[in-house]
Amino acid sequence: MTLSTINISNRDHQIAKLSAIAVALSLIEFFFPSPIPGVKPGIANIIILYTIFKFDLRMGIWVSIIRVFVTSIILGSFLSPTFFLSLSGALFSLLSLIIFKNLSPKFFSLISFSLIASLAHIIGQFIIVRLWIIPHDGIFYLLPIFILSAFIFGLVNALVTNKLLQLNPKK
Amino acid sequence: MIKKILQSFKVAKAGDWFIIILFFALIIISMKLLWNLPQGQYLEIYKNNEILATYSLNQQITKTISGAKGETKITINNGKVRFSSAPCAKKYCIHQGWINKASQIIICIPNKISISILGSNKNYDSINY
Repeated sequence: MTLSTINISNRDHQIAKLSAIAVALSLIEFFFPSPIPGVKPGIANIIILYTIFKFDLRMGIWVSIIRVFVTSIILGSFLSPTFFLSLSGALFSLLSLIIFKNLSPKFFSLISFSLIASLAHIIGQFIIVRLWIIPHDGIFYLLPIFILSAFIFGLVNALVTNKLLQLNPKK
Repeated sequence: MIKKILQSFKVAKAGDWFIIILFFALIIISMKLLWNLPQGQYLEIYKNNEILATYSLNQQITKTISGAKGETKITINNGKVRFSSAPCAKKYCIHQGWINKASQIIICIPNKISISILGSNKNYDSINY
């Protein structure tokens, strides 16, 4: 029998730590009531943006996916509609970031990336809602509110992340 | 505080402002497109979930309908309509006020009466669903 060993690199430790913070932020957000149902600030995305800009996109993808799975397991919503909403939002955000990753940093800072990702998040969730959860055109009436909230929270998250990056500059 | 927030915007580069403006345009366009319900033409009155009557909205008239708890008055006033009196305890139906756009509805659950506005063609709403 061959003995298999798992090599845990420094990078894995980093991913684990950042995911833990992201999960904690998701849980904090879960326990605060939202003034409008369905509108949430998504503060865990601060950590994901931070990871992407301080380390790289691959690490951000890891943290984002781990956050979605772990949060849903802790809250008991794993494989429920809430989980799939959260997953599709995360996947669409990541996809948009992969598509737009070559935007020149000369003209675009993390504000652009945050806004693009938050819009993609809403689109991803809306597709799931329209196709599966509420298959009815009436929900399009709510779309402007969600786009507006994506704008506000995308901007705020970007500014907070920027502050974090200034406090912990890239080595 | 406000100064600090404004200062934090200094990181925004030319492309960021472009994206912000684009996003703003998207919000306004989506509001214009998605919140622009056509004016209603007809009023449908439902009692016990069954259609009771259909009226044109282009008139000035008050209808009295007896529901599960008592008499409800529904007032049509040239294109808009409201519950003007109802026997229910909380009067949510009256507090909804006037409605005038296609696919808008008011429901009075205690008295089992609801009204729904139709445009020239039927929009789907959550009752149909």
